[in-house]
Amino acid sequence: MGPSSRYAALRLAALTKTFGRKMVVDHIDLEVPRGSFFGLVGPNGAGKTTSLSMAVGLLRPDGGRAEIFGLDAWADPARAKKLIGVLPDGLSMPERLTGRELLRFTGLLRGMELKEVERRAGELLEVLELDEAERTLVMEYSTGMRKKIGLATALLHAPRLLVLDEPLEAVDPVSAASIKVILQRFVGSGGSVVFSSHVMALVEQLCDHVAVIASGRVVASGTLEAVRAGRSLEERFVSLVGGQVPEVGELAWLSS
Amino acid sequence: MAVLLIQMKLAVLRHSMTGRRAAQMVTGALTGLALAGGLIVLAGRDYPLASLPFDLLGVGFALWTAGWLLGPTLFGGGDETLRPEHFSLLSFTPRRLAAGLAGAAFVGVAPLVTLVAFSALVVVAVKAGVGAAATAVGVLAVVLQLVVCVLASRLVTAVLGQVMRSKVGAALAALVSAAILAGLHSSWVLSPLVQAALRTGFPAPFSACVVALPSGWGLVAVRAAGQGQWPTVAVALAGLAALGVMCWYGWAALLKRRLTTRRPSGRPVRVASGGWAKGPMTAVAARELRTWSRDLLRFHYLVFALCYALAFCLLPLAIDAPIFLPWTGAVFALWVAAISANLYGEDGTELWCKMMVPGAARHDVRGRQLAWLLVTAPPTLVLTAAMVVFTGEFGLWPWLAALVPALLSGGAGVTVLMSVLRPVPMTDPHRRGGNLLENGTDFAQVLLVLILTAATAAPAYFAVRLGPVWAGPVMGLAGGAAMAWLLGRLAATRLESSAPELLLHLRTGVSPKRRRPAAALDLARPHLPKPDLGLDKLGLDLAPTGRRAYVIASLTLCWVPLVAQGIVPALMLTTGHVTPSWLLALHLPQHLQWPTIIAMIALGLVLLTTGLGIGLYYLARSRRDGIKLDDGP
Ligand SMILES: Nc1ncnc2c1ncn2[C@@H]1O[C@H](COP(=O)(O)OP(=O)(O)OP(=O)(O)O)[C@@H](O)[C@H]1O
Ligand SMILES: [Mg+2]
Repeated sequence: MGPSSRYAALRLAALTKTFGRKMVVDHIDLEVPRGSFFGLVGPNGAGKTTSLSMAVGLLRPDGGRAEIFGLDAWADPARAKKLIGVLPDGLSMPERLTGRELLRFTGLLRGMELKEVERRAGELLEVLELDEAERTLVMEYSTGMRKKIGLATALLHAPRLLVLDEPLEAVDPVSAASIKVILQRFVGSGGSVVFSSHVMALVEQLCDHVAVIASGRVVASGTLEAVRAGRSLEERFVSLVGGQVPEVGELAWLSS
Repeated sequence: MAVLLIQMKLAVLRHSMTGRRAAQMVTGALTGLALAGGLIVLAGRDYPLASLPFDLLGVGFALWTAGWLLGPTLFGGGDETLRPEHFSLLSFTPRRLAAGLAGAAFVGVAPLVTLVAFSALVVVAVKAGVGAAATAVGVLAVVLQLVVCVLASRLVTAVLGQVMRSKVGAALAALVSAAILAGLHSSWVLSPLVQAALRTGFPAPFSACVVALPSGWGLVAVRAAGQGQWPTVAVALAGLAALGVMCWYGWAALLKRRLTTRRPSGRPVRVASGGWAKGPMTAVAARELRTWSRDLLRFHYLVFALCYALAFCLLPLAIDAPIFLPWTGAVFALWVAAISANLYGEDGTELWCKMMVPGAARHDVRGRQLAWLLVTAPPTLVLTAAMVVFTGEFGLWPWLAALVPALLSGGAGVTVLMSVLRPVPMTDPHRRGGNLLENGTDFAQVLLVLILTAATAAPAYFAVRLGPVWAGPVMGLAGGAAMAWLLGRLAATRLESSAPELLLHLRTGVSPKRRRPAAALDLARPHLPKPDLGLDKLGLDLAPTGRRAYVIASLTLCWVPLVAQGIVPALMLTTGHVTPSWLLALHLPQHLQWPTIIAMIALGLVLLTTGLGIGLYYLARSRRDGIKLDDGP
């Protein structure tokens, strides 16, 4: 049941979410081509986490569709979810397990063979430099270690699409370098990655496609070159989102 | 400083005067006022003995103070409206912070109600006619007692909060609360003694004990003032004041500790091989077993269930009544069920991990059931067998063989279903401060699970009662297994269909269907909260008025035809012990009796199933639609 090659890895169509009276995600349309490394950027509170949660089946949208390789993530979740690995932001993990136990039980829950799970878990822990924390519960992990073990669970079942919410936040440079290599190899072998980030340099370094989200709407999307339009991504981002640099004189009391 | 903190606390209280919180607060205040009124009435009545009102009040004050001291531990949390951590980065000395927080501690419903309750001291002084001076002493003593009560409560809660960070401490706290609860529930044992005391007065050593407790010092002062023994008055009042100061100092010291020490990092855990976990369900069970052994909260609950069962069943031995002993195992199983019905709430937002695995809901529910049985069944069976041998009540075996398996499987079913249907959101495990008291017990949940689990044993009960001797055990095992399977199945289906709503509920602490009316409330303007009937909890807030009324009426009334007019007379006719009372069928001529009973049972069943059906339909709909309805203008 390989993902049919006609479809995009992820397609969001008029996806909408309202919290209270605030339309947090406002009819977002987005297409992540197969085999692309897709960066999602936007100011704080733009709706990145909310959109990605709805795309993978963690938050029920008020309207619109989310398709994963052509499969509706909400109408046909069982088949769609087999194809994705997810790293959400700010959610908890099975906290009272060690990293290895977490990987083992997640693999078994997915119906994988114990031997295979153990083999993959060992490799993942080693590559992500988590094998020294063999006897530490996830609860005691640092923020960066939590991101890494989350990434390991997302990779464990060899998905075709990775949806990562701020995967490199709080990760040290050495681990970040190895994660980048893992992701690039994953894309090189035909996988697709969508990730959100606030680090423009990282997006420019890794991604071939970018979307800029502001106030729940897509304000620009396409290949990196097209979105950048000849400038740096950071300059383009600021001009698109319309932020302003504080004028001299504001917060003057701070420098007293 | 104190004024500022009091203003902050008032602001928080004002903002939380909405919805369920407000309803809880109002209910709590009314219950407290009723109890306080009881104390005042107790103080104002006429007694055959002059010392009786003082002794009774002494007991009343002692219980009231005990409630303050241990209530936060038993019922969770204590007053954490203003958390000291919020101020830890401001440049206050811990002493000043403690002073400010102590001031704020006196703001709230509970201290106010307690002030009313303690004013019984003034009432008893006036009633005894001890004179104006003694009455003034009474007023002063009331204030001092309130101060001691509130500060001592803070101190004890802080001490227990520190102690309960270790396994030993958690076990100790469980032991204490289990002993207290079981003691309260067994207080009927004492009723002959109390009745005698009300006629002839309390035994002298008992009275001495009551006034020796700090809660009785106010009474000592009033009595001494009435008799003109002013040195005693001074000592008693000074004692109260000194105790208050000491509690405050102790609390300030602990506050400093709380603010400057972090939760100790966990020692390396013992990693069990878990080789038996080879498939999805056993993997979940193995993970659950690790939670049972590594989570202090679960450990605490487990020790509590064990201690409660032992205390509750052993206490009646004090009046030579071993009747409960053989049932120790069953009581244990019931309580383990009651305290493990928030499995998803305790795990928190971790739920997403399961949502990303296709088909995980079923494995997860079944695995949790298996783990629950693995944790609960062995101690239950050992306790039951040991107690039967100990008491020699071998004749009870059909009952035990029917009810113990029925309760175990009922527990395995009810806990998972309740965990899915009625989760109580908690802080995510890695964000908890290591203080068990932060997460209070939801007593409605505990009570509900106790009742439902006990109800699942009903078929086994009737089988033993009415059937041949083999029927009970067979019903207990087979019926129980079917019940566990069915309830687990319901839970899994439910989890599968509403996991996103459950996750949102666990993440935000706001249940999806409650978010609709909240926007309409004006937070700036204080307003009287409407008592919340819990319709939104049932999902009935979405149903049209007629259907809502039907569901409520049918579910409330169906028991009358079904049980009272149906099953009860049927049992009477089959067993031959007929007391017509208000049972319609038994007043009719013989040939109409059985048809009437059958019609009644049928009517009851129709009411029950239609009521449940409509109710569950709207429950499912409200879970699904709750968020959508939010966009409404
Ligand atoms: N459960 C919720 N209830 C109400 N509002 C919410 C909820 N979750 C998110 N929001 C609001 O939705 C908006 C978008 O949030 P979201 O987390 O998607 O932003 P984000 O783009 O991921 O931001 P960041 O870069 O800071 O992570 C925010 O304004 C937030 O306040
Ligand atoms: Mg985010």
